[in-house]
Amino acid sequence: MKKKTAFLTALAVILVLAASIDSAWAYFTTYAEAKGGHTLSLGDKTKVEEDFSAWTKHVSIQSDPDSEPVYIRVKAFCGSEYKLVFSDKSGKWSPGSDGYYYYGDIVNGGEATKELQVKIENVPKDVTDADSFNVVVIYESTPVLYKEDGTPYADWKNKVNTGTVKGGAVNE
Amino acid sequence: MNRFRKFLASPKVSLAAFVLAIGLLMFSSVGGARAALTYYSENYVSRVQMYDIGVTLVENGENISWRDYASAGNGSWNETTGELLKHMLGEEEKIKIGKKYKEELCVRNSGTIDQYVRVSVYKYWTDAQGNKMQNLSPDLIDLNFTNAGGWIIDEASSTAERTVLYYNKVLKTGKTTPLFADSLTIDNMVATKVTQTKEEKGGYTTITTTYDYDGVQFCVEAKVDAVQDHNAQDAIWSAWGRRVSVSNGTLSLN
Repeated sequence: MKKKTAFLTALAVILVLAASIDSAWAYFTTYAEAKGGHTLSLGDKTKVEEDFSAWTKHVSIQSDPDSEPVYIRVKAFCGSEYKLVFSDKSGKWSPGSDGYYYYGDIVNGGEATKELQVKIENVPKDVTDADSFNVVVIYESTPVLYKEDGTPYADWKNKVNTGTVKGGAVNE
Repeated sequence: MNRFRKFLASPKVSLAAFVLAIGLLMFSSVGGARAALTYYSENYVSRVQMYDIGVTLVENGENISWRDYASAGNGSWNETTGELLKHMLGEEEKIKIGKKYKEELCVRNSGTIDQYVRVSVYKYWTDAQGNKMQNLSPDLIDLNFTNAGGWIIDEASSTAERTVLYYNKVLKTGKTTPLFADSLTIDNMVATKVTQTKEEKGGYTTITTTYDYDGVQFCVEAKVDAVQDHNAQDAIWSAWGRRVSVSNGTLSLN
């Protein structure tokens, strides 16, 4: 009887101690979490629209409606026997030191640049086929990037779309 | 002696003792009731201090997510999970690549016990269906960590996608940590990751560039962990599995 009592007493003590150990292992903890994000839109597509009349190319660059904002620049080449003269009634185009003409405004999706005129001078009077001229117009676009403070700028090392048009007139 | 026993055993004495016992019992009850009335009348409000842990993630001064043990003490939690970057852009506004956006993140102790906290920040890209894109670089999501004010980065636990930061001081009840991040910028490099195709048609040559990052979503995820400040070393080891040292209340990573 005494042994049984002692055993039960020991068991009770162990249970009490075990309960104490369990409570010592439990710590106060909690957590909070959140997440979020946004989608990037980088896709853009542009195309050149060109008319040819009176030995002058009328160049405009059109951005597709779902395109992201871009900067545009244009360059034109021809044989050494002719001379190309650029003119711009809008005042939006400005020549760079690298031979390109840069459009000053950002071209948003669905918008087009103002017209840049490229006149071919010193054309012989007996020439009637405009396509015989090898005048090449190159246009390039690059996505609008931003500085830390939000100021937009163009990085022309990062060209998106490049288009080349040869000949005196548009060939569709 | 026999006469005294007889006297005690007499019915009169028993009856008298019984009446006396009832009288004493009634008197003690009245006294207790008086004490109770006096106690509540004088103090009116009885306060019981509960030791509840709670923590809140704060973004640009606004409480975003929290999980606080309910004061009711019934095992329930007062918790809310919010959304990060929700007010980063205006309606119809698209993110500007390279622009530095304000993203000030910190932690507030919204419980009633002092605590230590850590933050795990995840940055990654997902496709339109929300699937994680492992081939796109988390480094281009530039969440600027301040590395100041007591926040230390656990380099051993950090990867390109995950950054773990510990606040090395005790965060007192009701107090807010200094900022652990202050801005978010999508690196301009995303505009250079491209695939180009060339097309010649009717006198035109067109080179079209397709962006690798077009249409993908950047995600930022922050998880704040809090643990009691008592017995902090063992508590942190038990709860977070990280060996730390705590000396004079300052935590350092082992």
